[in-house]
Amino acid sequence: MLATITVDDEKCNDPLSCCKCLLVCPSHALGLGTRVGPQKFKEIEPKHFILRGVRFDKCTGCMECVEVCPKNAIQVSFNGGMGK
Amino acid sequence: MCLLCEQYGDGYERWYFNPANYARRLYKIRKEEAEAAGAEANPQAAGGMAVLGREFLEAKERGDIEAMEKMKKEAEAGALATHFGQVITLDDALKIIDIMYPITLITCACRRSMQGLPDEGNFTCIGMGPGMYKWERWPDTYRGGVQFLTPDEAKEVVTKMNKRGLVQCIYTFGTPYIGGLCNCDYPDCGGIRLRVDYDVKVLWKGHYVAQVDPELCNGCASCIHRCQFKALNFVPTRNKAHIEATECFGCGLCVTECDQDAITLVERSSLPALVDEW
Repeated sequence: MLATITVDDEKCNDPLSCCKCLLVCPSHALGLGTRVGPQKFKEIEPKHFILRGVRFDKCTGCMECVEVCPKNAIQVSFNGGMGK
Repeated sequence: MCLLCEQYGDGYERWYFNPANYARRLYKIRKEEAEAAGAEANPQAAGGMAVLGREFLEAKERGDIEAMEKMKKEAEAGALATHFGQVITLDDALKIIDIMYPITLITCACRRSMQGLPDEGNFTCIGMGPGMYKWERWPDTYRGGVQFLTPDEAKEVVTKMNKRGLVQCIYTFGTPYIGGLCNCDYPDCGGIRLRVDYDVKVLWKGHYVAQVDPELCNGCASCIHRCQFKALNFVPTRNKAHIEATECFGCGLCVTECDQDAITLVERSSLPALVDEW
């Protein structure tokens, strides 16, 4: 069954400098993206970075990411719902 | 026959030895939204899933082969026109370093998105061609900026990456213009993972296939950890390395690790069953 991985962006507001979940995930199922494309003359601000489930088929539901998140921002479920 | 060599080889032995494929125009008319916004605008771009999202995985789970094939075909066609890769050997990488200019070291976008690697630990991609002047001009846009390299420095970098166990892949930026010589590994390279796990051909196999000489292989297994494509395993009952030729990408990482010279690369074109397997 495909995992549903949801991230509360309000809580997870600087994933670029945290990255704990990315590194703990045994399946490398999570990814870091940005809300905006490359911008001229300025770096993409940390607040535009977002964490998402990517390889949903690789997620085993071990909950390591949920446990490691200092902001309690990640939820993983297997109820067949759509991930965001 | 390699489709790329046919279309863009212009008489050279490989399409990536043709200097014209490194000479992208300095200026071009910007296309509308999709390209102007950049692939990163899509959060799912993380980890190379910009081209195939959750719908693909859902189709896979419910066994909807027709839907999967349709999505794969579209993703492959899009990649082939704009941004796709081919695995090359270290020898071929060293040869093309003498063709491309300018040469730079840049950060890896895949590892940033999959490991959140800070820029200073993430300089593993070789960037090349006039596009690099944009990176120099706007270092903030392209995180980490660029370090310009001489051909000798670039050869040293690529040789070290190979030693570390990273696979050399060339990538186009607007096919046929080659703009990157990436040093990749599974599972964080978007190209390798899409190809190995989902058979989406955004990364093509290379021009060679590795073969083990069972007479020379002494069963030391030092090559086993080198394969990033799940094509190499150790057979305990024979005490030999085994390479699954149909899965081999021809990168040569196992070859460069073998002290016994027991693994050789043969031309893909010499194997009738694999000649069109890219």
